[in-house]
Amino acid sequence: MKAILSSFRVFIRQIVRDDMLWAVCLAPVLAGLFFRFAVPAADRWLAQTLDGELLLADYYLLFDLMLNLMTPYMFCFAAAMVMLTEYDENIAVYMAITPVGKTGYIISRLLMPGILSVPAGMLATGIFSLTDWPIGRLIIVSLLSSLLSLAVALLVVSFSSNRVEGMALAKLSGLMMMGLPVPFFIVSNHQYWFSVLPSFWIARLGVGQNDLYAVPAAITSVIWILILYRKFERKLSG
Amino acid sequence: MRFIQLTKGDIRFQYKYGFYFLYLIFSLLYISVAYVLPRDWRQTAVLAMVFTDPAALGLFFMGAIILYEKSERVLDALAVSPVKVSEYVASKLFSIGLISSLAALLIAVSSCLSFQPFYFISAVFMGSCLFSSFGLMLAAKSSTLNEFILSTIPFQIAINLPALAYLFGWQPVWLLIHPGASMIELMVAGRYRWPAFAVLLVSSGLACYLAYKVIRKMFSTLGGAKL
Repeated sequence: MKAILSSFRVFIRQIVRDDMLWAVCLAPVLAGLFFRFAVPAADRWLAQTLDGELLLADYYLLFDLMLNLMTPYMFCFAAAMVMLTEYDENIAVYMAITPVGKTGYIISRLLMPGILSVPAGMLATGIFSLTDWPIGRLIIVSLLSSLLSLAVALLVVSFSSNRVEGMALAKLSGLMMMGLPVPFFIVSNHQYWFSVLPSFWIARLGVGQNDLYAVPAAITSVIWILILYRKFERKLSG
Repeated sequence: MRFIQLTKGDIRFQYKYGFYFLYLIFSLLYISVAYVLPRDWRQTAVLAMVFTDPAALGLFFMGAIILYEKSERVLDALAVSPVKVSEYVASKLFSIGLISSLAALLIAVSSCLSFQPFYFISAVFMGSCLFSSFGLMLAAKSSTLNEFILSTIPFQIAINLPALAYLFGWQPVWLLIHPGASMIELMVAGRYRWPAFAVLLVSSGLACYLAYKVIRKMFSTLGGAKL
């Protein structure tokens, strides 16, 4: 445990040195401020200009979900970038044969940021949300968002053989978030084409106000994580 | 000749690492989004998508490319070869500009954007060179990916905000001094397309020159010794 904590301290030191820690903490706050104040103001201005009703009010929940997902995504993105650099410089493979071990490396680089991102996501959504969130649902959605972000980080690191591929995959991994707007814009059964994406089920949970959707959201996330983890472990073994 | 060889190498590298595949996927995604949007919004949305993604890809990817070349000692090998720094910079800008232009053209044609090919391609290519030059300068000074990504944020804001304001209707003539606004004006082949062309040419030329200076300095200090 001491070795894992020490490895986690190295990770934190690295993102502090890059100023990434500030970005990880600041980005959800800036996005939250924008969603909380600029979006309703723009909506009111549009309604006045067009002499109509509020256009964006139906999508306030989507903004909340985006904010909730963005917080762990930022944590895990920073972790993925650190791991890519460590892999390119062969540090990751060396770490696996130190007392930290492969499992310790994964815990310190992935699991710990993932766990920390849960309260961070809850806090950001709790403070800046545009809709009402029962505490139970906030906890469930934050946990699911964190699980999904872990899958994204694993996808970026597992399938890239260097940081150039990693950046390409980081961009491509944005598609994993594509499920969020689907239930808001596609009302027919065609929306289930996106059911392999955990983000789709997270959005269904929000739209349907039904916590049972947490089950498929968790199952799809876990399946993604298991598939990607196997590949990631093989990669760490060199 | 060396420039052509370097460009070929860069294109091969970018193909191998999935840039072409990635931009094919994203182009298809943008085209789908364009068709989902109401017809009145399509033109503006397509221009915004082209401006913020394919045209700006150099600013996103240059850090990874340069840092990878640093770690693989590619730059050390190039520094002692007959390759000139200007050829190295030009090949990077041209190869990235090619993907930007191809992706932008695919999106524009497939989403039935009304555009004039010469002005549109010129705008995207010069804009891509501008973004990539900033990417090169920042990458030369970064040691990690996180550091690079963070350092690009002020540049993204400085280039994107005035350009998007121009695109969405705030169009005082003086704003055309800004290269991003000029790029939008040139993409739509507006009334001020020739002044916009001149502004974009000068600003991207200046950015390329600055990138050349920064990369030359980086090459001269490779390996810790000052050559």
